[in-house]
Order: sequence, then C-alpha cells, then structure tokens
Amino acid sequence: MSGEIFNPNPTVFRSSTKSHSPRRLLAAKKSLWINEYEPSQLVQVLDEDEEEAIDQDEIFDLIKNIYDPEHPNTLEELHVVSAPQIDIAENRVKVEFTPTVPHCGMSTLIGLSIRVRLIRSLPTRFKLDIVVKPGSHQSEHAVNKQLNDKERVAAALENPALVKTVEDCLTGRA
Amino acid sequence: MDEEFPYYLQNIANLGGHEDRAWHIAWNPTKSLLASCSADKSVKLFTYNHDGEGNLNFTLATSIPTGHLKTVRAVAWSPSGRTLATASFDSNIGIWEQELDDDGNPGEWECASLLEGHETECKSVAYSSSGNLLASCSRDKTVWVWEVQPDSDFECMGVLMEHTQDVKCVAWHPTEEILASGSYDDTIKLYVDDPMDDWFCCATLTGHASTVWSISWSPNGKYLASASDDKTVRIWRRIGEHEFKCVLVLEGHERSVYSVSWGIGKSNQEIDSSLGWIASASGDGVIRVWDLSENSSTEPMIPSAKLIARLPTAHGVHDINSVVWCPRKGHEDLLATSGDDGMVKVWRIQGT
Repeated sequence: MSGEIFNPNPTVFRSSTKSHSPRRLLAAKKSLWINEYEPSQLVQVLDEDEEEAIDQDEIFDLIKNIYDPEHPNTLEELHVVSAPQIDIAENRVKVEFTPTVPHCGMSTLIGLSIRVRLIRSLPTRFKLDIVVKPGSHQSEHAVNKQLNDKERVAAALENPALVKTVEDCLTGRA
Repeated sequence: MDEEFPYYLQNIANLGGHEDRAWHIAWNPTKSLLASCSADKSVKLFTYNHDGEGNLNFTLATSIPTGHLKTVRAVAWSPSGRTLATASFDSNIGIWEQELDDDGNPGEWECASLLEGHETECKSVAYSSSGNLLASCSRDKTVWVWEVQPDSDFECMGVLMEHTQDVKCVAWHPTEEILASGSYDDTIKLYVDDPMDDWFCCATLTGHASTVWSISWSPNGKYLASASDDKTVRIWRRIGEHEFKCVLVLEGHERSVYSVSWGIGKSNQEIDSSLGWIASASGDGVIRVWDLSENSSTEPMIPSAKLIARLPTAHGVHDINSVVWCPRKGHEDLLATSGDDGMVKVWRIQGT
C-alpha cells in the first residue's frame, strides 16, 4: 500500500450510540473466513428456515463500526454508510456507500470490508450487492464491477495480506 | 402454480464432501467418472453405474488433495479420458494421471506435470478436440496455448495478450482448432494458429454488457453460446471462416449467468433443424434449459429457442457455479451442476 493518504482531512460526524437492532445475528455457520476475535457477534443461531425480516437498521448496525482503512474513524462517523443507503428486497441486500472523496483509492477495500462483515453475519439466503453511491466516485463503474465480481472477491480473500487489512478495518486495529 | 414446461429436471444424485464452494465439474468423455473441484483445494472423482433396476448410482471414487495452494477453480479431461487438468488460483495448472500399480491396475492420481507461467489466478483450462492442445487463461489477461507432448511434457505455443481484463473462460471448437475466450472486458475473442507464424486473435465478439463468464460451442460447431454477468445468454452464429454474428439473446435470469452448456439434446435427433439443448445456471439459483432449432422456413440464419425446463433453487439459496451436459452416448439426458453449497448434483431431464 502506498504511503499516500487519499483524504487527509475527512469530515467526521458524531456517531449515534443507540443500537437499533432488536436482535443480533450470528456469523454464518459456513463462513469461509471465521474470525475468532469477534465474540460480540455470536449470540443466536439463525435458522435458514426462519425467514424473519431484516431491516435497514440491523444491517446498518453491522457495518457502521467498520473502520476506515486510513483514519481512526468508523464508516458511520465519516458518513460513508448510513441506514437510508441500504436497500433490502426479499433475499437481496444492496448497500450503497459514499467514499469521502471522488478519487478515493480505498473504495474497493471499504467495499470488500462491508461485504465480508455482511457475509459473516447474514443468513446465506441473502445476495449482496455493494456499490458506491452514484456520482460519488470517478471510477464508479470499475469499482462497482470489482466489488461484485464473485471470483475476484474469492481470490482477494485468499490473499493473506489483503485479508489482514480487511480484518484491521473490521476490528479497528490499524 | 408453475408454468407448464414440456420437460422437468429430476434429481438423480446429491454429492457432498467438498468443504467449501464447488466451482466446476467435468464429465470424463470415455469413462463413467465425474470430476469436481472446489475452493477447498481438492478434486473429487465420482463414479457412476447402473444398478439392476434402471437407476444410476453415483459414488465417490476418490478425493485428490492436489497440493494446489489455493482454490481449484476449473477441471478438464483430455479427450482420451486418461488425463485431468486443474486450474488454480495459485496461478498454476496441474496435469493428473492415474498411476498403474505393479499388476497394471489403475491406482492413485498423481501430478504428472505442473504448468507455471501465469502471473495471477488461473480461471479455466480446456483440451482441444484432438487432445494435442491445452488452453489456459488467467486474471493476468492472457490466454496460453500449450502443445501436449509425450511423457507429460507441455510446450507453450503462444501467450495471447489480447483481452484488456481478466480472462474468465476458454473453450475449444468441437472439431477445429479454434479457441474462444470470455473476459471481464465483456468480449469474446477467437484465436487460430497461423502455420507460418503464431497463434493470433482472428475475431472479437462484442455485445454483452458485462463480464462473459462461460462459453459453450454447439455440437455442430456452427454456433457459440455465451453466459454473462449481464444476466443473458447470447447465441452467436458463424457466418464466415472467422466471422460471427449475435443472432439471439436469451433472457430470464435475474442475476449473473455463471455457466452455459450446449448439449446434443435428445428430443429431435432425427430432425435436421435441431441444434440441441442449452442449459444455463445463475446466481439466481435457477437452471434453465432451452431447445434450439434452425428455422429454415423463415429467416434461415436465425435459430429459435424455446424454454423447455426451469428448475429454481437447484442448490437451495446458493449460487450455481457450473452446469455441464454429459457428453457420453446414452447419457445425453444427464446434467451435472456444482454450487456454493459445496454440492455436486446430477439431474436427468425427463418429459413431463
């Protein structure tokens, strides 16, 4: 990773302390990337057959505390993710995130971190689409294509250095 | 209530064992073997035979740990059925043969050769119909053509750098030495060998709006089917030696179509206009089967496609990564699929 920081002075917003989630979700049983140091996520077994509705706030709760790769702030604090930018259909979740600057080179890493967090937490029936907010990035199409190419994502997650970087974003250790 | 289709897919076998997503499957062309490969870095070989009562039984013959350092993404059999090639995210191609023990009986599958050279993940591998050539492709944007020599030696005949992005799949023409490749750059490219020179790209097929995941030639070699992230399957007709034109777009899938397979079909073998059956599999979990035929009474160059079977949730909520018709005579009604659930499933298409 180069030493250049893309956005040295991001705008930081105060995060909400209230958790909207009435129940917490279990890391997917067949998760490919089981992470042992996330005890707060292991609460209740969610049966595949239980098609309980999941709402925007629950998904937002899962991703709001992901850390930006370059700053000691969460995606919520930087307004990169927000509940209204999450769209849920029957078995599909679409998360739109807003990079802090239009040329943000960290966008693919942020998008990948969001995907990993959601794969581990949501029931497997959900198909995930992760995109940048339209108009917010100069390489919008290219970034979206990478983030949603299943093979590229799978290969990226077999790269130990990249996995470590993603883990750092998920746990806040930088 | 589901719409009425003339055919349905009967589940014949559900083969578990892979510990991670099953990416790809390949039917041995001469023996009763089905190979599957997975993110768990292994290849599994399943054998099948008829029991006394007309049922086809599939059992695990062996699991090959391969030694690949990462996901095994694709497998391909040589036309003789004696050699298996594996394509891995570790950037290498493995060539596997079954050793004969002291009594001449087939034993373990051993790595006869390891083809190195790609710079990043290998995505696909395929033998030409003669068995003399092997093609591989990678995220490094290249397609490599290798000549198969005695003693499991392979000589690189060409490194084709025509695509501008990852190359997802390669497929050889059923009879001629024409190679097709599908890419993340949304195009399909065709390559032939110039006897005086090198392998070169002789055609580029544009039209898909996103990544081309899979390609399958028609059994008669006059058409090509391609599956794309744009949720469609396109049919291209050969109109010149190296010229192709898109003649049909098959819609209906709701997510990326990851795999397409063009089989002989069984219904109309006596009818000349029959082009066979196309099976497609998608991230929407559905397998679709179309009957393709040439309509000589109307526009002679445009084939018609009729959806004859549709199976949702073939692998439950999981994506289907690969669908392949069995190439062996007498088994043209068999279809195998592999999915993100790690399962390999076998289906028989039956008239309703």
